[in-house]
Amino acid sequence: MINPASGPLLFDTSAESWLARTDRSEVLAWMREYLSHHQVHISAVTVLERIRGYSLLWRRTEGVGRERIEAMRIAYLTTLGRVWPLDGAVAVVAGEIMALFPDPPTPPRRSHNLAESRHERLARWRFDGMIAATALVARMPLVHNNAADFESVRSAIERSPERFPNLGALELIRCGLLT
Amino acid sequence: MNLRSRLPDRMAKRRTTLTLPADSLTQAQRIARTRKVNLSTVIAEALSEGLRVHAAAERSVEVLNGYKKAFSGLSDEEVAILDGVILEPAARR
Repeated sequence: MINPASGPLLFDTSAESWLARTDRSEVLAWMREYLSHHQVHISAVTVLERIRGYSLLWRRTEGVGRERIEAMRIAYLTTLGRVWPLDGAVAVVAGEIMALFPDPPTPPRRSHNLAESRHERLARWRFDGMIAATALVARMPLVHNNAADFESVRSAIERSPERFPNLGALELIRCGLLT
Repeated sequence: MNLRSRLPDRMAKRRTTLTLPADSLTQAQRIARTRKVNLSTVIAEALSEGLRVHAAAERSVEVLNGYKKAFSGLSDEEVAILDGVILEPAARR
């Protein structure tokens, strides 16, 4: 279990939604305790992914459905805690991560008769690199729900420490191991 | 202008009368003696910490309720879209 007082922690996009949707009482208790000590820290990239998602859902919907999506978007924006910017330092580290791993470590997602395009997969992989870079620059553990991608980044950084001077290791925490 | 009138509102002090639990008051007096500060300082610090915890608890409820509103009623595919995973019909690609 991760001590909720020991943060702050940076939450990846999928980790944030996992925590937001959970109905497990022990996870909710952990979040309440965490929030009594810290804000939810996220990258500006997470805000970008989320707002793009709400906008795509809004465009796919009509009438009352659109009002519902817009209310959800506003609720999300009202809930924002600390948003870390994509600044010069993060860009430098993200560029190094992308050079180490130009291609995503796992294939595009598929679900029934739906599939993620190659360019969408690449964009998502690059966003993950920016979020990992933010965690390194902010010197915060990264809470994630995407082990395959982030463990690949962590291993690559460990193999090339000379490209990430004075940043230390990327510390990862899986959502399921918080409680 | 005296010092008190130059203090910002949040630091201004006011005199009041409180009824406190005897045990808590005894503990606060003991702490004040140990730290060689007056009783008002100890009570003010304890009150300030209590208010911080109360505000944090309120904020925590607000954030969790906000998250509930932001994600409720969505299908797994819709949440995937909010997570940046855009799936399209395979036949169209």
